[in-house]
Amino acid sequence: MIQRIFALLTALLALSALTGCGYNDFQRLDEQSKAAWSEVLNQYQRRADLVPNIVATVKGEANFEQETLTRVVEARAKATSIQVTPETLNNPEAFNKFQQAQGELSGALSRLMVVSERYPTLQANQGFRDLRVTLEGTENRITVARNRYIQTVQEYNVLARSFPTNLTAIAFSYAPKPSFTVANEAQISAPPTVDFSASKPKP
Amino acid sequence: MHLALIYKALIAILLIALATPWAHADDGLLPVPALTGPVIDQTGTLSASDKAALETQLQTLEQTRGAQVVVLMVPTTAPEDIASFANRVGNTWKIGRRDVGDGVLVIVAKNDRKMRIEVAKALEGAIPDIAAARIIDGAMKPRFQQSDYAGGLRDAVIQLSARIAGEALPAPASSGNAAHSPDTSRDGFDWTDLAVFLFFGVMVAGPLARSIFGSRLGGLLMGGGVGLLAFVVTSSLIVAGGAGLLALLYTWIFGGTGGGSSRRRGRGGAAVGGWGAGVGGGGWSGGGSSSDSGGFSSGGGGDFGGGGASGDW
Repeated sequence: MIQRIFALLTALLALSALTGCGYNDFQRLDEQSKAAWSEVLNQYQRRADLVPNIVATVKGEANFEQETLTRVVEARAKATSIQVTPETLNNPEAFNKFQQAQGELSGALSRLMVVSERYPTLQANQGFRDLRVTLEGTENRITVARNRYIQTVQEYNVLARSFPTNLTAIAFSYAPKPSFTVANEAQISAPPTVDFSASKPKP
Repeated sequence: MHLALIYKALIAILLIALATPWAHADDGLLPVPALTGPVIDQTGTLSASDKAALETQLQTLEQTRGAQVVVLMVPTTAPEDIASFANRVGNTWKIGRRDVGDGVLVIVAKNDRKMRIEVAKALEGAIPDIAAARIIDGAMKPRFQQSDYAGGLRDAVIQLSARIAGEALPAPASSGNAAHSPDTSRDGFDWTDLAVFLFFGVMVAGPLARSIFGSRLGGLLMGGGVGLLAFVVTSSLIVAGGAGLLALLYTWIFGGTGGGSSRRRGRGGAAVGGWGAGVGGGGWSGGGSSSDSGGFSSGGGGDFGGGGASGDW
């Protein structure tokens, strides 16, 4: 009788150990993070596809700041030149490079949008306004997609590092995945310098 | 010495316990308001009749098209910008039918003088960002500038309804309440998990039940227990009956050969039985999802991916 109870206990323990080792959770979260990452890439691609249209519209504006425009074009070329494969996720260096390039494009585009405020004819152009809305929506979608990726990766990494599931992670060599960080942390923590004398509205 | 150590440990635990809620409260974000109806006005701007008219408009849309549109007016969205607040609210409420996900959230931050139409992914085709921006610029902005909030919202909802009507969405359920009532039994519940659990559970517990209660009574108990568990978890009589019958047959037929050898009803056996039931109950009670109550309820299917447009006035 007692032996039977012990056998039952061991069986239940073995069962709970099987479900507790988190192997299935690893598979689920791995796929989830891949899907979330694909969505991030998808939205970045959408933005990259949008840039030529914006540049073409802005070029139509006479004497638009050339420097801002070239910077956007260069940043886009750089961002799209980086090949992203699923392995990028497991390679923190490539991941950082990709993130930096996309960050540069973000910066160049927001600068372009700020500069465009100075051109009333551009602001009145319905095509440009539509593009602007689309770009805004795309940036929002990028933010949401990045957030979801960060959350999934966090869940995955907690599983990969906490006991006892970390034993499963070691056994199957599941390394923690890289997450997004703020690229220009130093810039953000420094207070902005506001200089109104320099930016006079152009006619 | 030992006492001092214990003291320190206790203080540390106390500090940690105290610090945790603080850390949560410290993120400073605006809490997501409770979804009490299709129109939620926290600013007290809309008159009762305006609000009722807007609600009728939105309810008609939901009854005819199935899509859920919710209007939320808040004083401010600070410290977040309106886009991230709208997204957070949308993804918390998950408005839109469960299997369609057709929800739209119209948010007005009155003191910020900002508005946003947040569109769930299922409706991004019907209401693309540009269309949302046009609705904001054309219908809401001019009226909001004249402080005609009710009129602006009414026109916005009319235009949104027209856009949703143009989209080929699945027809709403014939009985108005079917789309409303959140289906708790199927929600977040994994059939395979139950099947695997019961399979192993019966294999392990079947012989034990036989050895304790005898082959016939053990089988009956096993079948009854599995049936009851299946009924509690799935709330389906057919599934429960099937599971119970299978467990009964398994215990009777394959329940081990030594069933008759030990028929003692020991205290240990009863204790184990109780423990097993406790594990079973505890494990599964967490699987059910909490349903939100209230007159108006979200369909729970809306997934907001950042679509829509913002504007100001």
